[in-house]
Amino acid sequence: MMAKLGVHDLSVRYGKLTAISDLSFTVAEGERLFISGPNGAGKSSLLGAISGAVRAAHGRIEMDGDILSGLSPEGIARRGLSMVPEGRRIFRGLTVQENLLVGTGLRRDRAAVGDDLETVYQAFPILRERAHANAGALSGGQQQMLAISRALMTNPKLMLVDEPSLGLAPKVVDEVYDHLCALQALRGLTLVIVEQSSARAARVGGRMILMRGGRIVADGDAATFAADDLLSEAYFGDPA
Amino acid sequence: MSLQLVFDALSLGGIYAIAALGIALIFGVMKLVNFAHGQFIACAVFALILPTADAVAVLGLGALPAVLLIPAIIGFGAGLAVLAEALVFRPLRHASPVALMVGSFALGVALQNLLLVLYGGRPKAISLWPDLGQPVQIGAAQVPLLQLIVIGAVALILGALALMLKRSRLGLEMRAAAEDFGMARLLGVRANRVISGAFALSGALAAVVALVLVAQTGVADVRMGGQIMLVAFIATVVGGMGSLPGAVAAGMALGAASALLQAFLPDAARPFRDAFLYALVILVLLFRPQGIFASASAKPRV
Amino acid sequence: MLTSHQIRRRMAATTPVLLALLLLAFVLMAVTLGDRAAARMASETLIRVTLVVGFWIFAGNSGVISFGHAAFACVGAYVSAWTTLQPGMKATLLPGLPEAIADAHWPVLAGAGLAGTIAAALALVTGAAILRLSGIAASIATFAFLAMINTIWSNWTPITGGTSSVVGLERYVTPWVALGWAVAALIAASVYGASASGLALRASREDEVAAAASGIDRYRHRLLAFTLSAFFCGVGGALMGHFIGVINPDGFYLSLTFLMLAMLVVGGIGSLSGAVIGVLAVSVTVELLVRLEKGVTFGATTFALPPGSQEILIAIAMILVLVFRPAGLLAGREIMLPARWVTGRSIPKE
Repeated sequence: MMAKLGVHDLSVRYGKLTAISDLSFTVAEGERLFISGPNGAGKSSLLGAISGAVRAAHGRIEMDGDILSGLSPEGIARRGLSMVPEGRRIFRGLTVQENLLVGTGLRRDRAAVGDDLETVYQAFPILRERAHANAGALSGGQQQMLAISRALMTNPKLMLVDEPSLGLAPKVVDEVYDHLCALQALRGLTLVIVEQSSARAARVGGRMILMRGGRIVADGDAATFAADDLLSEAYFGDPA
Repeated sequence: MSLQLVFDALSLGGIYAIAALGIALIFGVMKLVNFAHGQFIACAVFALILPTADAVAVLGLGALPAVLLIPAIIGFGAGLAVLAEALVFRPLRHASPVALMVGSFALGVALQNLLLVLYGGRPKAISLWPDLGQPVQIGAAQVPLLQLIVIGAVALILGALALMLKRSRLGLEMRAAAEDFGMARLLGVRANRVISGAFALSGALAAVVALVLVAQTGVADVRMGGQIMLVAFIATVVGGMGSLPGAVAAGMALGAASALLQAFLPDAARPFRDAFLYALVILVLLFRPQGIFASASAKPRV
Repeated sequence: MLTSHQIRRRMAATTPVLLALLLLAFVLMAVTLGDRAAARMASETLIRVTLVVGFWIFAGNSGVISFGHAAFACVGAYVSAWTTLQPGMKATLLPGLPEAIADAHWPVLAGAGLAGTIAAALALVTGAAILRLSGIAASIATFAFLAMINTIWSNWTPITGGTSSVVGLERYVTPWVALGWAVAALIAASVYGASASGLALRASREDEVAAAASGIDRYRHRLLAFTLSAFFCGVGGALMGHFIGVINPDGFYLSLTFLMLAMLVVGGIGSLSGAVIGVLAVSVTVELLVRLEKGVTFGATTFALPPGSQEILIAIAMILVLVFRPAGLLAGREIMLPARWVTGRSIPKE
């Protein structure tokens, strides 16, 4: 079967600094892939390159066999890839509902937008409650839910989520992951999640790639990583 | 006297607000301070007449009846701005705001001199809608009909623009892009569509300003957009860069300040009205460097 | 034994020397090889070097574009006119001048010095307000300042003559006088660039956050650069007036602002050499275009560009530079002697 997402020999550089070098991996349809690693490992650069926000120095990125490299971010989004970025980046001056609708302009099934909005509101009643309030007034956890819902509203096949647990209380993180997993099951989404904590990844379950210095150093079931969590901590050590 | 002053302030402030919106729309979306905006206005003025170096203008588009003329000039302004974006600003899309600003200044100079080449440097008399000069009696005040029309038109335009930004797809995308362009693109918002849209709106607003200026002064002059562009710039700084309501409010405030200065400055000081206005603004900014109507971090809201 | 830091400082010190020699060669070439028009062009170019190097002291070091420097040139030109014109002339042209100024008949050098000083003082006062704004807003405020000065000068008829020109300025500016001031500006610019304030200002341009964290008071350094910068623009304005002999507020308005900006952008705002090369490149181009506008005869046909096309072409060139070579012709590099010339050996590796 054709991979949902294929990354082949990808390199990303910022000036002389190499963020990612010759990275390759594939993600199968419906899979949940965690990308973990220390700060500066190149995780966010990788998501940036896949979503088109960061230009790759060389390499090839494919989705459903189509080459994404060279397309604009909006072009990639229109092919069914959606992004929940680091720091959430919700539109603070727009209302909650407007945030949810920004990404629906690319959909051809306009009629289904209303149903999807209803689904989101059922999953997150707080968003319905605050639908016409400024999104900037939401709490951190609510903003994370909004960012995820906003990405879902584009009706994606593949969703990239960058550090969903950043700055949230552990209980709220549990909630975020519960929702993500439920949504994935419901929609048959393929999920790629950057998650710094391998323990968290193991608890949620799925495949995990460990990155360091712009390369993949390990690839396997998240649960097996957790077993040698201490080992990997020692292995990462201080990136300096 | 005082009622007359209110009408003066409203009509002048309204025009300043429209011009300031034209600047703030583009700044909001692509962080460009458009120094060519004044020349967009001047070009729309000259689009009314046929190229000639004579002192009396021969109406070209300007000879059309108003129902055709107004859409035609507004369309011209929008088209010119979209063309400028495609030719000059699209290649500079990834340049710094400073480079964009310098580029727009160069574009303005090029447009101004293009008008000079085509039309010569002398101001030209244009008689567009001379009937609008007639005074109308309102209470104790004699108000020129044109002033009433301007105030009405400004209110209409502000309302329509607010509605468009709030309710339409393009408006939503423009507001999202103004806050975080990169994020909007990740959600499938087309950068070119939003930027072209902002330029089209800005050019259309420039054309509105042009029509009002011509109707008020009866003159076409290559330099005529310059002063109003400067006031519009000041309004966008005072209103908080990129904030649309801030730009409108500040434009109105500057119009009111101008009308007051005009009315109460001693005769000898009147030619310096604008100098007083600019000095006032620099003083105000000394105490509120982030602008008056919005904090530095405030995002455009409508 | 020299440290690499000392070597770099020595190399940097060769920059103004080399640039001065370049200007000297330019003047010599124009004076000995060219016609009268070429000598005029040389003076004009060297005056622009004074203006643009002055402009660069602020814009190049701070990274903030100013649209207000033509106003300093305007003030400088009028200050020099007020102090050096024949008192009889002033009585007719500028009847509103206070007595002390109306009777003054200073030597031209003192007039130029005062022109720079008054411009600098004005910069200190206005800069104190304008430079509190962030970069882009500050640029807009400088534009408002330019318009304000133009409005005042165009309307303050008893003092400035209003929009009618002030005539009869002593035309003392030869290519050599202009060269003298241009070199003075070069020296001031490189001394400032190498000073603690210049270094701090450039650091704040490159990385605002880090500079603030290391305790750099950006506002103070900006203000210092703005003031010094205005001094040379004031002098440059005085030189412009005494070169043509006639001044008018509109001669120091948008066209001059555009020309100064175009020169800086074409040469590259990132280096002093860029500013100088930009002036030379644009001046030579303008000269060619002006001659084309006057008409060139090829055999039986005369070919002439319509007036105004000069500005259009310069503007287009400027946009092309911004698109294809955003850092300008010199791309931020300085013209300097190689390391082994200043030390007799190559630079040590660190």
